[in-house]
Amino acid sequence: MDCTLPAVAEELLKEIKKAFQETSHDTLFSRLKFIFGPSAVPALDLVDQRAVTRVTSPSGRTAYQVLGSSGKLYTCYSSCHFCTCPAFGFTVLQKSESLLCKHILAVYLSQAVGACQELSVSEEQLISVLLAEEEDEG
Amino acid sequence: LRRGGLAERLCRLQNRERSAINFWRHQCISDAKISSDKSGVLIVKILEMFEECTIQVAICQQLQQTPATLSSEDAVVSAGEPILKVLFVRETAAQLKSRPQDVIHIYPPWQKLLLKNADVPIILNTYFSQKVLPSEHSETGEKVHSLAKMVIRRNIISLAQTFRLDDLDDELHQAGNQVACAPQIHNSCGSKQHSLAQSAVNDSLLEMVESQGAVGWREVKVRVVIQRVYCLPAREGYGSHFQGNKPLLSNRGMFCRLCLLVQDAYGMFSEVQLQSLSSAGDVEQYCRMWEGKFCCLAGMKILQRTTRGRALGLFSLIDSLWPPVVPVKVPGQSQGSEMRTTELPPPSFCYILTVQSDEIHVEVDKEEQISNLYQPPAVHGLKEILQMDGCNERCSFWAQVLYLRLQTKHTVPLNQREIWLFVTDSTLQNVAHMIPKVVAVSVAASCVLSTEITGGLDAASQRVFFKDALWGNGRIICVERTVLLLQKPLLCSAAGADLSELTGPVRLDELDSTTQANSICAVRGTVVGVNERTAFSWPTCDRCGNGKLELCPQDRGLLYCNQCSDTVISPVLKMQLEVFLSCPSRSQSTVKVKVCLCPRLFVLINSLLSLQSYEVQSVLGKEVGLLNCYVHSVTSHPNCVGLEEIVLL
Repeated sequence: MDCTLPAVAEELLKEIKKAFQETSHDTLFSRLKFIFGPSAVPALDLVDQRAVTRVTSPSGRTAYQVLGSSGKLYTCYSSCHFCTCPAFGFTVLQKSESLLCKHILAVYLSQAVGACQELSVSEEQLISVLLAEEEDEG
Repeated sequence: LRRGGLAERLCRLQNRERSAINFWRHQCISDAKISSDKSGVLIVKILEMFEECTIQVAICQQLQQTPATLSSEDAVVSAGEPILKVLFVRETAAQLKSRPQDVIHIYPPWQKLLLKNADVPIILNTYFSQKVLPSEHSETGEKVHSLAKMVIRRNIISLAQTFRLDDLDDELHQAGNQVACAPQIHNSCGSKQHSLAQSAVNDSLLEMVESQGAVGWREVKVRVVIQRVYCLPAREGYGSHFQGNKPLLSNRGMFCRLCLLVQDAYGMFSEVQLQSLSSAGDVEQYCRMWEGKFCCLAGMKILQRTTRGRALGLFSLIDSLWPPVVPVKVPGQSQGSEMRTTELPPPSFCYILTVQSDEIHVEVDKEEQISNLYQPPAVHGLKEILQMDGCNERCSFWAQVLYLRLQTKHTVPLNQREIWLFVTDSTLQNVAHMIPKVVAVSVAASCVLSTEITGGLDAASQRVFFKDALWGNGRIICVERTVLLLQKPLLCSAAGADLSELTGPVRLDELDSTTQANSICAVRGTVVGVNERTAFSWPTCDRCGNGKLELCPQDRGLLYCNQCSDTVISPVLKMQLEVFLSCPSRSQSTVKVKVCLCPRLFVLINSLLSLQSYEVQSVLGKEVGLLNCYVHSVTSHPNCVGLEEIVLL
């Protein structure tokens, strides 16, 4: 008599594989690319690298820190769209050419797919994150 | 880029799309003939345009006409044509150079996005767009226009507008003053907790749900009204959450769990799944005891928060109870003020709760009166239901069950097979024409049937109350949350006299050109042929009717019944035969009737055929009718109807 369990296990694993590699994600991605343009791929790359961390303090305040590709840590606010990266200042604030920079987009995408890292800090530490002085990149 | 990551996937997709887009742009520029394949092409006329970031937003009217008949001077905006918001990326906008009144063809693959609170659909991925040039005679007019430079308004987007990815945004919730800092229930902000421990009994389900995890939430009781009681088939996954889970066993061999659909004073619904009960009693009993009464829920655990899109069955039941029959409270406002029910939108989400431990924390106040908020099922006649508009509407009715049929798919286990009930009531029986006399109601495996029902249905013709069955696509189906009862619930709002009370013998529709498969009808005609190949007879047990008798191991001359575990001394001989009839009511078709003969069935043919043998000649030309039959199949090529003689309950 043939065993049942191996076939069931195999089918189950096939389903899991299919769910994670479904090409129907193409629809979502293609729309993402349409709306966010050149920020889309870099933002997804940041998500893949688990570069986004949500920083919380005991009082309930939150902020996001994103490890950029250059190794630099950028801060994104949660109460409004703001990022400390130079691209934000230029493309979003100055030229209004984009809704978000790739770091803010990465924050939202990380939340959406559950790839956000969590970090609890003290109030003082969070304050220093929010009021961080920008280094002059020259 | 990381291998196998999301970014790599998008990159690959982008590359595929890019070559297609470039090819398209080249075609447009060189005025090459675009393929005349018009399927899937969206034709729009631009009414207004503005720019947001680098995306061009065009408010358009969708057109149905082909470009040939369209002149750009058709400035009349006809009401009723759908309005769309079409988005173009910078490159497409630069290529199109469109202005208001232009007609654009958008070729697939474009995408449509529907926003939750807006009527206007958004069209995305409009890479493959082409402007339609105007017809000859208005060319001069166009040329004058194109000389003037187009200035497009730019909308500046505020940075203060952040995105919320969780949809906890119904009005009831936002009006309250307990919104947590992040829209997640488990991310509780300690300083913003309600002093729930102080209030003994709460009347808001939402408050109880939000206070999960806070100090003293276990003691919180919520007072709600039980709108419906039903059984749901238990799913495997839920069992693992709870220790000592003892689900109800229904007669169909399925595990099921008793559930309540409750509503609080704010009009919010919740489905409460109860665990084991002391006795495996029927749903009918609990319906009588609990429906319409107040109860206090305590120590509930949140199983799930489900939305309309994910739980259509649950929300079709909630919709049938909406709007509330009495005004409901508004959160965050003083006791006196209550919202008029007509202003409230139907709920878009619902919490599914379950008991934490083995005991049931539902205290039903048996002495108390029925709540004003309770909406008993509205009973209608079958005729009215069949003429109802809409899809996925819950309906309740009384009906007489005439015939029962089990789905024959052998791959499906017996207890999960669909059951077909053929029912009628006085509203169908007393109608002249155009409405069928009998309706087929499908009972899905997900509809839990009580022991009383399954036992009773087989025995004799029963009057059954169908509570919250689903009507849609011309069919009545019993699914999850539908309850079949043998006794009338006390509090039904009946539409007049008891409609299922039949005033005369049951009449079936006669076989005619409109008869469809999976229905029952009456047949009369003349025998024109006998399918001798299908004729056979077999012995059956006279005690239980078992048709699969075996030879007795001890004495090969005797028959043995496995079900009775005894020999069968005088077996009942059953004979099956297929005859072809010529029916005047459906003269174009070959009518094939499978006739089963046994002493229990009284059929006209029986008088023509002896039980041992028959002469085909003696049967041909004889009149037969009226036979009650089940219609197996109706085919048009060849024009044939397959019937099986049945006995009504």
